[in-house]
Amino acid sequence: MDPVLEFLEAWLKDTYIHHLMNENQWAWPVSESLHFMGLSLLFGIVALYDLRLLGFLKRLPMDALHRLIPWGVLGYCINLMSGMTFLAGRPDQYIHNPSFQIKLLFMTGAGINVAVFYLMTYGLVKEMGSGMEAPVRARIAGAVSLACWTGVIVCGRLLTFFRPPAFYWCFWC
Amino acid sequence: MLSVWVRESESLLAFPAIIALHAIGMGLLVGANIAMDLRVLGFAPRIPLSVLDALFPVMTIGFWVNAASGLLLLLAYPAKALTNPLFYAKLTLIALALVAARTIWKRMRGSRETVGKPVASKLKLLAGFSLAMWGAAIVAGRFLAYTYTYLSAYDL
Repeated sequence: MDPVLEFLEAWLKDTYIHHLMNENQWAWPVSESLHFMGLSLLFGIVALYDLRLLGFLKRLPMDALHRLIPWGVLGYCINLMSGMTFLAGRPDQYIHNPSFQIKLLFMTGAGINVAVFYLMTYGLVKEMGSGMEAPVRARIAGAVSLACWTGVIVCGRLLTFFRPPAFYWCFWC
Repeated sequence: MLSVWVRESESLLAFPAIIALHAIGMGLLVGANIAMDLRVLGFAPRIPLSVLDALFPVMTIGFWVNAASGLLLLLAYPAKALTNPLFYAKLTLIALALVAARTIWKRMRGSRETVGKPVASKLKLLAGFSLAMWGAAIVAGRFLAYTYTYLSAYDL
């Protein structure tokens, strides 16, 4: 096994969160509840903006709708933190889980897409109101975002079915 | 037949795909409803209240995806859900959230001028209620997996 991952797993198993997640019977469902609320915030709000970029929901002004994006970011932060509690709680179930690794890939894809969007495309749609059509470049960003976040959710839900030791997998080993 | 397939099929298209769809439908329904509630509470004030019904198709798709996937999950493990009081609490919370969304929209449709005008505090209260009901429904849904007494009718 990869020494870096071995170290990471040993370190996670030594954290306070690890003990909390395993010793309190309600810690796991509480974290999951937060994770699903964050999912609704992140996916719901971002999907609306993506759909608007793609040409749906045209009656919503694009610029005004963008003001809700910080709430999607809040959902992302909630999920990053609640997600970490799962990882710390059962690191062995996640690190070599193919579904978890593909989930991280989708998250990376969504991250690159959003960075490219704000650096190169956002300026084109920033001032757009209702009824206006986003240019092709923005539509592509919307489609990629929608696909990546859907992939993140699907992989997240499939995690349970690809647990080590039955499944033990990584790109580098 | 359908029940056995959902429960026992090894295919990723059975149980795993259905719970994945249930999460995506939730994201669409609850997320779009959160967007409506946030606007009513005064965030993103430049979205006219009168166009918020544009969110309804998204919410409707989310609702039916989840009604269908939820029904399949219920068929797969009927005893697990039906013997857990939390299941009925979840359904009640969802019903209350849907009634709140409907009421908010009915009240808003009447108001002509909508940009920048403060929303009635009664309506804001309803939006807060809607957020609380969805949050509670999610908690109930997650705790269902941890609080059941019987997984199948054979255990009764």
